[in-house]
Amino acid sequence: MRIAVVYDVLRWEEKDIISNIRSLGHEPVPIHVTSFYLDPYSNTQYMNLDVVIQRCVSLFRAIETTVFFESLGIPIVNKLEVLMVTGDKLHTTMKLIANNIPTPRTLIAMSREAAVNAAKKLGFPVVVKPIIGSWGRMIAKVNDEDALNSILELREHLQAPYHRIHYIQEYIEKPGRDIRVFTVGNEIPAAIYRISNYWKTNTALGGRAECVKVCDELRDLVLKAAEAVGGGYLGIDVLEDPSRGYLINEVNGVTEYKNTVRVCKVNISELIIKYAIEVGKK
Amino acid sequence: MCGTPVNVPDDVLPGELIEHEECGALLEVYQDGGNTFALRRAEGISEDWGE
Repeated sequence: MRIAVVYDVLRWEEKDIISNIRSLGHEPVPIHVTSFYLDPYSNTQYMNLDVVIQRCVSLFRAIETTVFFESLGIPIVNKLEVLMVTGDKLHTTMKLIANNIPTPRTLIAMSREAAVNAAKKLGFPVVVKPIIGSWGRMIAKVNDEDALNSILELREHLQAPYHRIHYIQEYIEKPGRDIRVFTVGNEIPAAIYRISNYWKTNTALGGRAECVKVCDELRDLVLKAAEAVGGGYLGIDVLEDPSRGYLINEVNGVTEYKNTVRVCKVNISELIIKYAIEVGKK
Repeated sequence: MCGTPVNVPDDVLPGELIEHEECGALLEVYQDGGNTFALRRAEGISEDWGE
C-alpha cells in the first residue's frame, strides 16, 4: 500500500512511522505540508494514496489538510470528526459528558465577570485553560479571586479570540502523577504514569514516564472515552481523584509517544500503521 | 544565519530541524518546489501546536 504521512515538523514519531511503513513492506509517502501547496483542482498526485496518517503538530494545519484529503475521498487517520472534537477542550468535555464518562467538573465563561462567578461556583483553587492548546501551555492553577482576575486580564489582551473563552475546571488533587493511556482502534497498546512534583505532569514539562499496567476498570473507561470522541489512535489523559476514582481529563488526537515507547518497549507506530491499513481497506 | 556552511545528513527529510553547529540557529529543511531541498529559519512554537 501507499501510505502517506502528513506532517509539518518532523518529530521522532513521524520518522518512526515512516521507517515502520517500510519495515512492514509498504511504501511511505511523506507529505511535508509547508513545502507544497494543495491543489483541489489537480489532485491526481494524491489519488494513488491508499490511506493517510495525520501527524501535523499544528492543530489548524491538521484540520485543514484532513479536510483536503477527506474531501478527495482518501481515508485518513485520525478523521476530521476526531480532530475537531479532540482539538477543542470544550468539544471533548461535551462529548464525554454526553456519554456519561466521568470528567473533572468544568464551567465555560465568555467574559471576565462570568468566569469569576464560575470559579466561585466551583470553589478555589480552579484550573483555567485555553480551549485550544497542548503540552500544558498557558494552563494556570488559580488559588483565589485576585489571581484569577490577573490571569483573565492577561488573557483579554492576547490576540487569539479563543482566549476570551474561559474553560474553568475544578482542581483535582492528584497523587503526584496522572495516567496517559494510548488507544489504537479498540486496543490499548500501552499506558504510562506521568510523574512530577509539579501539579502539571506533562512530559513536555519534565514529567517522568513510567510504564503502567492497565486494569479492567481503566481499560473500559478509556475505550468508552475513545469511542465518544470518534475513535482512531489517541492519547487519553486520566486523573485519579481520591474520592471519585478515574476521571478522563483530556484526549489528544495527534498524540506523541516517544517516551512511552522508550519505557514500555511497545511499537506504537507499527500498531498505528496496521490500524491505518485496515481503515484504508474499507 | 551566520553565513557559514551547515552540515546536513544524507537521509534528511523535509520538516527536519537542524541546529547550526556554529551559531546555534534552528533551521528547517523544506522542499523548494521540485525535488530540491533548502533550509530556512524554523518557525517558533505556535499557540495551536501540540498533540
